[in-house]
Amino acid sequence: MVSDNNKKIKHYDELLTNFSHDFQFASDNQMFFDILDTVMPQIILLDTCSAQLDLPQLYRKINAIKENLVTLTILKEDKIPPELLNISDAFLMEPVSDNILISTINVNLRRKEALTRLSTSNQNLSKSLYQLDVLYNTGSQFAATLDKEKLINIMLEGLDKALGFSVACVLTFKSDNEPLLIINSINQISDRLLEALKLRAVLNYKSLFENKEMPFELNINDLKTIKYAKNPIEDYDFSVLRYDNMLAQINLSDNFYGFVEIYRDNEFTNEDTQCFHTIAQQVSMPLKNAAYVQEIQAKNKELYRLEHLKSEFVSIVSHELRTPITPLKTSLEIMLSGRAGILTPNMEKFLNIGKNNVETFQKIINDLLDMSKIEAGKMDYKFTSVNMEKAISFVKTLQNNVADEKGLKLTTTFDEDFATVFADEQRIHQVLNNLLSNAIKFTKEGGNIDISTKIINAENIKCPECFSEEIKKLKGKYVQVCVKDEGIGIEDENLAKIFDQFKQIESSLSREVGGTGLGLPIVRKILDAHNGAIWAESKVGEGSSFYFVLPVMSEKSNFWILHKQLIQQAKVNKTKFVTLTISAKGNCIENLMQENNLLSGTYLNNSLLEKDKDLTSLTMVIPDGDRHLVDFLKRKIDSVILNDKARYGKCDIIYTYTTYPKEKE
Amino acid sequence: MKKILLVDDEQDIVETLKFVLESDGYTCFCAYNGEDGLKLAKEIIPDLMILDIMMPKINGFKISRLLKYDAKYKNIPIIMLTARSQESDKQIGEETGADVYITKPFDLDNVLSTVKQLLNEKEE
Repeated sequence: MVSDNNKKIKHYDELLTNFSHDFQFASDNQMFFDILDTVMPQIILLDTCSAQLDLPQLYRKINAIKENLVTLTILKEDKIPPELLNISDAFLMEPVSDNILISTINVNLRRKEALTRLSTSNQNLSKSLYQLDVLYNTGSQFAATLDKEKLINIMLEGLDKALGFSVACVLTFKSDNEPLLIINSINQISDRLLEALKLRAVLNYKSLFENKEMPFELNINDLKTIKYAKNPIEDYDFSVLRYDNMLAQINLSDNFYGFVEIYRDNEFTNEDTQCFHTIAQQVSMPLKNAAYVQEIQAKNKELYRLEHLKSEFVSIVSHELRTPITPLKTSLEIMLSGRAGILTPNMEKFLNIGKNNVETFQKIINDLLDMSKIEAGKMDYKFTSVNMEKAISFVKTLQNNVADEKGLKLTTTFDEDFATVFADEQRIHQVLNNLLSNAIKFTKEGGNIDISTKIINAENIKCPECFSEEIKKLKGKYVQVCVKDEGIGIEDENLAKIFDQFKQIESSLSREVGGTGLGLPIVRKILDAHNGAIWAESKVGEGSSFYFVLPVMSEKSNFWILHKQLIQQAKVNKTKFVTLTISAKGNCIENLMQENNLLSGTYLNNSLLEKDKDLTSLTMVIPDGDRHLVDFLKRKIDSVILNDKARYGKCDIIYTYTTYPKEKE
Repeated sequence: MKKILLVDDEQDIVETLKFVLESDGYTCFCAYNGEDGLKLAKEIIPDLMILDIMMPKINGFKISRLLKYDAKYKNIPIIMLTARSQESDKQIGEETGADVYITKPFDLDNVLSTVKQLLNEKEE
């Protein structure tokens, strides 16, 4: 109570003490200020009738601290001074009834208590909200990385924001079980505190596994530490150990990963504890993912290494197995030629057996190498225009002798139209050779084998049910080649299997004939790469017909159609391609080409020489891997490649360089 | 008598080819690595060379290129030998001036007829 009236003071002292309130009074300004310095009253009873007090000064003081207290004012008359309106919570008129005073005091006290409770819970609420926000943020940050160290840092940042620790210690084990203690703190950690924290970490670790086996041995001497301090000038000492602290284990599913302990100089609340454990749990999932990713990366590396080993093995096989074949074959041939001396019929017979088997051996190795190349995507195709009739005739001549020996009749039936395809000539020979030699193998002596071609539209192609899926995908004009034999035939259920690698029908058939069973799968892969297809029809006991189709290259194909095909083929081969387009007026281009002997290369395609009155253009396709040819061209016509447009004699030369990214290895 | 130079690091191949070629009346010189091959070629100036591609020190391409770019030796016909796996080498072989390219394992008759043909062409 502030008043200069001793009578009033005495009266209220008695009255309020009776109601068990703590009563103090001030009879002048200075006394009031002194009391305010020592205790902050809950209620100030201000008697404005006091003429001896400096009321304006009192008002100013009360105004400054009014947030924290209730002020009741006793007025002399029924008129409120305007400066009091702001600072007083209730006004009482003289004479004040004791009952009204007591009830006013009680009401205001209760109101103040309620307000305090409200503001406390409000504060708690906003703190929880903030912690939730931090949890949410760290959660989304956790999702953004798979780096173990970063994850631990995000967790510490989150803990710092949400709880504000003085010191945080994280114990983890690296992949090689090497223990590591990460210490984040506000001030620098002194050396003796560091030792204490290390010891503490070991004790904590052991306490987590009481009565249980520890996943890793932890020795204080092996424990490495990393320290980060925000404020490097000041030091923390042992006092930190007396701070309030919390400890949480970090688990990766059921496995121990490490723990985190934080110290703070003010006490942790229940909410803080919850928040702490949530953050420690939150980090587990991404750490687990990080561990998986590491594992997968390691496995990938190993796979890559094995893949590399495999291709290395293939190249060793290619060199080492083939090398001895050459002298072996040549030696047999020398003897068979009679150069090394006269042979008896038996010697000749056995030398021939030897020679035939060397050739079979050579074929098997070639098949294996082809298949592994195809599988590794390393098969290179050199596309040019190929005349199918020519190719068939060529392969037929190769096999004529073998067929004659067996007394087989080889015939060909060609479509009236020319069938030109855009293909790798050698590979097409391989396809035909494979099919024809199979037909020869299976056809009984004296039988017939016919090879026919037919130009056909995709929708008119007929094949057994089991192949229709693939044939449906075809569109446009095709050349269909059929190799028909009079062999033992293939049962329906095996028909589709014969083109699958290593699914060669288990029957005696494959054993009777021998071979790797890779011939047809290779044929199929080659045709796939040419946008073609293969299938077979067969009747057991009567014979089989093997059909394949390849897209026909129309005679009118102009440069752009070809260009499109090139791009397509480049994608099939997954290689880089360089296309060189050279156009020139008049005969210059031919002169240029002949001069440089360019026309001899298999990369050049005569049908691409498009003659439009006096304009001639020519396109070459050069696999990018063939640096030598590119270098050669550079040497021969260097100004061409170095400049987009250059003069070469009288010719305007334009080149285009197109690359397709190689698939990542 | 026509002089033929054989260069291959695989002695067995050199041996067999030498036997056949000599029995057909040619004189053969042999080298088992690129360095010796090149030296010998410049020394004896053969009528024809059979060159392997894969050889230690100096490979077949390099020998071929060095000889074909030298007016003194550029008329020596060259037969290039290599394994089938190095198909793209064929193009390079042609570029480096090899006249014929033969894949190992080769057909003896094929080698002999090629030798004969190249020597006849040179006469003309």
